Amino acid sequence: MATVADKPRLPEKRSRRERRNDGGSALSTYGLLAPTLLVLAAFFLLPLYYIFLFSVALKRFSPTEALAALNGELNGFSGELWGNLVSWNVDVAVLGLDFAIPAVLIGVVLIVLLVLTVAGGRLSERHGTWIVGIAFALLLMPFLTIPAGNSLLRIMQFTSEGIQLNLFFKSVTMAMTSSVIAVIVAIPVAYFLAFCVQRSKYTWLLIVIAPFLTSYLLRVFAWKVILGDQGLINSGLMTIGIIDEPLTFLIYSQFTVMVVLTYAWVPFICLPIFLAFETIDRRLLEASMDLGATRWQAFRKITLPIAAPGVVAAFLFVFIPSIGEYVTPTLVGGVDGTMFGQNLASQFVGGSFNWQYGSAMALFLMGVVLILVFATSRFLRAGGGGL
Amino acid sequence: MGARDSSTFVLISPIGKRVLLVFFAVFLVFLYLPTILLVIFSFNDSTVAAFPLDGFTLRWYELSWQTGEIRQSLSASLKVAVASAAIATLLALLGSYPLARRNVRFRPLMSALLLVPLVVPTVVVAVSLLTMFQRGAIPIGLGLPSIMIGHVIIALPFAVLILLPRIASIDRRLEEAASDLGANGLQTFRFVLLPLIFPSIISAFMIAFVFSIDEVVIASFLSSEQPTYPVYLYSGLKFPEKTQALIPVATIMILISFLLAFGAEAIRRYGERKLEGR
Repeated sequence: MATVADKPRLPEKRSRRERRNDGGSALSTYGLLAPTLLVLAAFFLLPLYYIFLFSVALKRFSPTEALAALNGELNGFSGELWGNLVSWNVDVAVLGLDFAIPAVLIGVVLIVLLVLTVAGGRLSERHGTWIVGIAFALLLMPFLTIPAGNSLLRIMQFTSEGIQLNLFFKSVTMAMTSSVIAVIVAIPVAYFLAFCVQRSKYTWLLIVIAPFLTSYLLRVFAWKVILGDQGLINSGLMTIGIIDEPLTFLIYSQFTVMVVLTYAWVPFICLPIFLAFETIDRRLLEASMDLGATRWQAFRKITLPIAAPGVVAAFLFVFIPSIGEYVTPTLVGGVDGTMFGQNLASQFVGGSFNWQYGSAMALFLMGVVLILVFATSRFLRAGGGGL
Repeated sequence: MGARDSSTFVLISPIGKRVLLVFFAVFLVFLYLPTILLVIFSFNDSTVAAFPLDGFTLRWYELSWQTGEIRQSLSASLKVAVASAAIATLLALLGSYPLARRNVRFRPLMSALLLVPLVVPTVVVAVSLLTMFQRGAIPIGLGLPSIMIGHVIIALPFAVLILLPRIASIDRRLEEAASDLGANGLQTFRFVLLPLIFPSIISAFMIAFVFSIDEVVIASFLSSEQPTYPVYLYSGLKFPEKTQALIPVATIMILISFLLAFGAEAIRRYGERKLEGR
């Protein structure tokens, strides 16, 4: 099966046939890629760059100004040079022009970093390590330059305000707990599907995953009906007579948020873990048992290590969306279950209205997630391919 | 894998298997209980969704049918979902094809770029788009088009994850044969590749659609006067008196998403069979 594609490529010496197989000119190749890359640049990377700009902006907009901006009444201070160049409204007058150019450079560096971190997980071992190393050297750079010191200062400002940092750690703990529990629940389910179910395995898999595709909000709401004061559990227990008063910790608490987050993500992560189990060569397990391993040893020493990348990827698939959650805690968290994402959101649309502060929070959140992705990119490379 | 039966036998003891079976059954109950409760409460004759139940009624279905806001928000959501799913699928196809087939410089970087939105928390994507649409270089303001753009960005990685491996798995020699027989690039794509990957295109579209129709974070940040259905639902769930009228719609939406999910899977499998039966 030696196809043309398998031969080592020597660009200078490619035959006509091969070039044609390669599907045409570089122009058409990049022409095809261009729209997707442009859309991502314009609507993903550029906006991220804007939160960076806001996080370094010196001036804090007053709530009135911000409200005016939200209503489109304020067209910004449109500085002459940048205004003509790209006609943006982020206030160069506020940022200062000497400040704007390093800010652009650092923004670009941050964005390169973001892409490199993910790319690191998709490269060969050697290159991946290098690329991620370079990316993190770049990460440190902005903090060495003076203007971005402002960004650092603002991040320090909010991390030194114990309330925000405590809230962040609380959110990390909550997200971590529900991710770990979700993984622990998903492993036996995936194991059962992969090793015990003989017929129409994939139909069962779909039955497990399907609830993930139904309305998230409604599933959160349904938990309110189960855990609420007049809910399934409380009214059930009261009818039996075990309790006289509703159990209050069931609803509007950290507990509720974690239950709902776990519930919401378990079906989704059964998929990568199942795929990890499913691809294990059964002969390895047979060999180990022929050599005298017990079932438990075979599971611990063979199945689990091979499936580890899938499991870590699954953990990240829960953790990343959970850490920034604000819908679930708003609906079922109450005061006890407040999360970082809610505070972050309220800086933009809620009462606090401080885009600069909120942007710093968003960057901080993104940074933490990226460091986590970096730390586990080795696993993601193997496990992410399963999805 | 020929020895699967025996290996399955060795791998797990009969007792272990029974324990897992019980666990799986309990898990399925845990998974489906909330959905079933919703269906029950959509017929419950009481103004609050709480126990004990109060008898059967269809008035909530009537009420939600008559509530104009629900219909408007549903149609807004449909528009956003169809548009964003179509655009995300198209962009994913345009991006995946060269990455799977052509010599692309910095291929790992390019494919990483397409997948990056996966590792950024949605709330960050939402606030960054908000700042840009409000005060940035693309000041289109808020509203359904802005929401649509946000959904394209978030759905794109999922569509790429479906399409890229599928295109890469198709034997290049089929396309080579077509071009040897004189087909140009477009014809090769249209008559060889497209029919083979069509089921994956449909499932990418459906995943993006299902994602968009349920997305609330980006939509609530970027919506103006006309909310999408999830945004309307989100505001309704915060006020118990508005909630009952929302449950019937939710029930129907859940049924539709189930149908779509199983439909997408059936189509994907049909495609797989077609590919194997070649």
